[in-house]
Amino acid sequence: MGRTDRKQKMLLLGSAVFFCVVVVATLIFKGSTGFQWIMSGLTVGSIYALIAMGFSVIYSSTHVINFAQGEFSMLGGMLMYTLSTRGGVPPLLGFLLAVLMVTALGAGLERATIHPLRDQSVITVIIVTIGISIFLRALAKWIWGTDPVKIASFSGDSPVRFLGAAVVPQSFWVFGFAILAVILVFLFFNRTLMGKGMRAAANNADAASLVGISTSTSSLVAWTIASGLGAAAGIVIAPISFASYSVGTMLGLKGFSSAILGGLGSAPGAVVGGLVLGVLETITAGVFPSGYKDAVAFLILILVLLVRPQGLLGKPEDVKV
Amino acid sequence: MGNEHILEIKSISKLFGGLAALEEVSFEVTGGEIKAVIGPNGAGKTTLFDVLTGIIKPTSGRVMLKERSIIGLRPDQITAMGMIRTFQTIQLFEGMTVLENAMVGCHSRTNSGFMSTSLRLPSARREEKRIQEEAMAVLEDVGLETRALETGTNLPYGQQRMLELARALASEPDILLLDEPAAGLNQYETDELSSLLSRFRQRGLTILIVEHDMGLVMQISDEVVVLDYGEVIARGTPEVVQNDPRVIEAYLGIEAD
Amino acid sequence: MDRKLEKGRSSGRGDYRTLLIVAAFIFLVPAWSRMIPGEVLHMDIVNVMVFAGIYACVVIGLNLLVGYGGQISLGHAAFFGIGAYTTAILCTRFAWFPTWLGALSGVLLAGLIGWLVGVPVLRLKGNYLAMATLGLGEIAFILFTQLKGLTGGTIGIPQGLNVSVSEIPPLSVFGFKFDSDIKFFFLAWAIVMLLMLLNINIIRSRVGRGLRALHSSEIAADAMGVNTSRYKTQVFVLSAMFAALGGALFAHFQRYINPESFVFSVSILFITMVVVGGMGNLWGGIVGVIVLTFLPSVIQAMPQWIPGIPASLTNFSNYSLVLYGLLLIVFMMFMPQGIAAGLSRASAFTGRRAKRLRDRIQARKYEGH
Repeated sequence: MGRTDRKQKMLLLGSAVFFCVVVVATLIFKGSTGFQWIMSGLTVGSIYALIAMGFSVIYSSTHVINFAQGEFSMLGGMLMYTLSTRGGVPPLLGFLLAVLMVTALGAGLERATIHPLRDQSVITVIIVTIGISIFLRALAKWIWGTDPVKIASFSGDSPVRFLGAAVVPQSFWVFGFAILAVILVFLFFNRTLMGKGMRAAANNADAASLVGISTSTSSLVAWTIASGLGAAAGIVIAPISFASYSVGTMLGLKGFSSAILGGLGSAPGAVVGGLVLGVLETITAGVFPSGYKDAVAFLILILVLLVRPQGLLGKPEDVKV
Repeated sequence: MGNEHILEIKSISKLFGGLAALEEVSFEVTGGEIKAVIGPNGAGKTTLFDVLTGIIKPTSGRVMLKERSIIGLRPDQITAMGMIRTFQTIQLFEGMTVLENAMVGCHSRTNSGFMSTSLRLPSARREEKRIQEEAMAVLEDVGLETRALETGTNLPYGQQRMLELARALASEPDILLLDEPAAGLNQYETDELSSLLSRFRQRGLTILIVEHDMGLVMQISDEVVVLDYGEVIARGTPEVVQNDPRVIEAYLGIEAD
Repeated sequence: MDRKLEKGRSSGRGDYRTLLIVAAFIFLVPAWSRMIPGEVLHMDIVNVMVFAGIYACVVIGLNLLVGYGGQISLGHAAFFGIGAYTTAILCTRFAWFPTWLGALSGVLLAGLIGWLVGVPVLRLKGNYLAMATLGLGEIAFILFTQLKGLTGGTIGIPQGLNVSVSEIPPLSVFGFKFDSDIKFFFLAWAIVMLLMLLNINIIRSRVGRGLRALHSSEIAADAMGVNTSRYKTQVFVLSAMFAALGGALFAHFQRYINPESFVFSVSILFITMVVVGGMGNLWGGIVGVIVLTFLPSVIQAMPQWIPGIPASLTNFSNYSLVLYGLLLIVFMMFMPQGIAAGLSRASAFTGRRAKRLRDRIQARKYEGH
């Protein structure tokens, strides 16, 4: 017991030290460019963290990897485009409306497709989420076409000087929303009866029925939370990185890699994994040809599965009959 | 089998999120004996089996099978070392015949792989024939030979239990772990099981059995270990255990509610 | 009892018989398709069947992985591409390079890559392979387009490369060139039948029992001594090699390749073929491949058969992914066994009906007595 705890702390410490070394090294060698990279890495990393939390929430309640997770972000961004950029709805109201619409869709999809399959094998459900994913993507292609769209930033595009780096104001919106979302999710799982019940359910189905949370309810709630998180992530990043029908796959893959890096099923792990992946990716893009940037997420995924499958903050998993 | 300990369980603990399912459980199984583990529901009996067969890792403690530590080994490696289990809820393989189910039991001591089976090399065909004959012999042992070609999951409940037993025996184990083998059996079937187990024991098979049916336990076991809340509260011959006040209390406490 | 045992051992005989029937049916396709006049058919059946045969190589392996290994690969287009690019690069760079050796190299390389990915990922319980292969597919696509000096970038091989040949050479074995549709048709489907034969042999053996046990209950299979992670890895590697073989055939048949043939949606197409045909059904792969390979041609030919169908409907690429997505959802929810299971149930039904008829005739004979 004590040994695994210590090992975990060592690893956490190790990764923190590694992170600091990376930061310092880039600062020294690249001057303000290095800091610039870190800022934009943390921005995109916050997005990965939100998507990773979506994966984790659904995984811990149903053991399903939800392949449609990235599409929620895509839909969030595209709906924001229609509402705000085309329709003239003020950004914050547009944000709320788009998140609500995607959340409703997520909950509806759970009831329509996942719930009826609750007694089927995990692989069956996973294939359905793959089906949902490419269906939503193709539908978005039909509705919005293939051209990437630009979405207006929440508060202008003129960069702000921040500790010597030029940072777009949207980055601060991203940080703000990410922190808010993390706090809300934390409060839900630690302070509400339902959230606590769902955590118990993730460990032990008997414990869940003791608290009176059915697996059916917790699956619905998990999908609702995950789709909301995904949509919020997709909306706040859209002004920085453009939105298009096809961004969901990559966002999903990176969110999943972050979740694995941090430890699938662990909410703090999702945050750490997302931020680390975001920064590593931006640094890679600065050093290697940018075409290879997307390969980082995959390499990390494979490396983590090879060396430490439970992730940085996860606990070794028990398999039960 | 001599009298040495074939299986040694040394202060096994297992915590599930802070809750102790097993706490410092220690006992040994001697070669050739039938040992029973009893205890009220939730006492940790199935968790103990999961730890012994490598399905879950204990939080602390050691397990020695034939003087080799098996902590950290995969379930299939433990099976290959001569310890195999059955399940509390019947886990027959879907879509397989009775014979095929038993043939899967031979897996750990046979070795033809993708290459030799896909090309139907003579070695693979010879082995296939051997597997089939041995599986059939095991089915005869438990009295299922006439149903060999039926689908396993279509058998009546009692025979499904027997098939699980046969499938485990097909691996030719030194020690057999039975997780509530009499659950759901009627009195006649339980008696059959009892005489079957006694027969296996005469052949030198060691058996560790988790069971609720006290009649069966008292009838066949040499020694009984009593678990309650993850701890060993008593051990000894069936007569000794039956009269132990702590055991009576543990059971009465459960039955009272 | 001995006779029963004999019967039990040869339980695979039915599958071998089905294989013969399927082979006879497919190899007769060129003959009977010639009987239908072209103005009625509006498609080149032999040509479509060549592509079906090529895809069948991929899907047979993938079906083993999904149906028995219980694992999904979303990156089989990558292995398909590795097979195609390896032989294409070798055979265009070096004009003397034997085409069959090029194909073999691709198959081995794909097997190696599959092994490197599979070992760490499949050691774990759970469905990590899907995401890992999704990533692998993306990486492979990035490499196919970015390594311009090797792959010809987006233009592809051979046009994007500075080589003397104007196309990828046709496959040739002992001087015999497979350079027409009809020759390639027989080659591709002979290979498919060979793969099916290997497939049947595996499923009817110790390994197959291990895989079927794994499919039914991983925990019970583990406990019975089946090394499930090793089986999953081996079946993944096998499926990667089958896919690469399909890719090599693809390159030598089409004579040019570019990254477009190895995109993510191709991986999805493969999975859809498995699901529609029937996961874990021996014949599911072939059924799914034939249905989904003919679908675009059928849709394109529709205006010729039924006048008045708007042209926008016939552009299959407009809505192929919507359709694949819907097929995946609908089949998993309402027909998880796929079309092949439906077919075999239908044939079993007619078999049972025939038996009942025989019984009735028998009964009447006795009455007559």
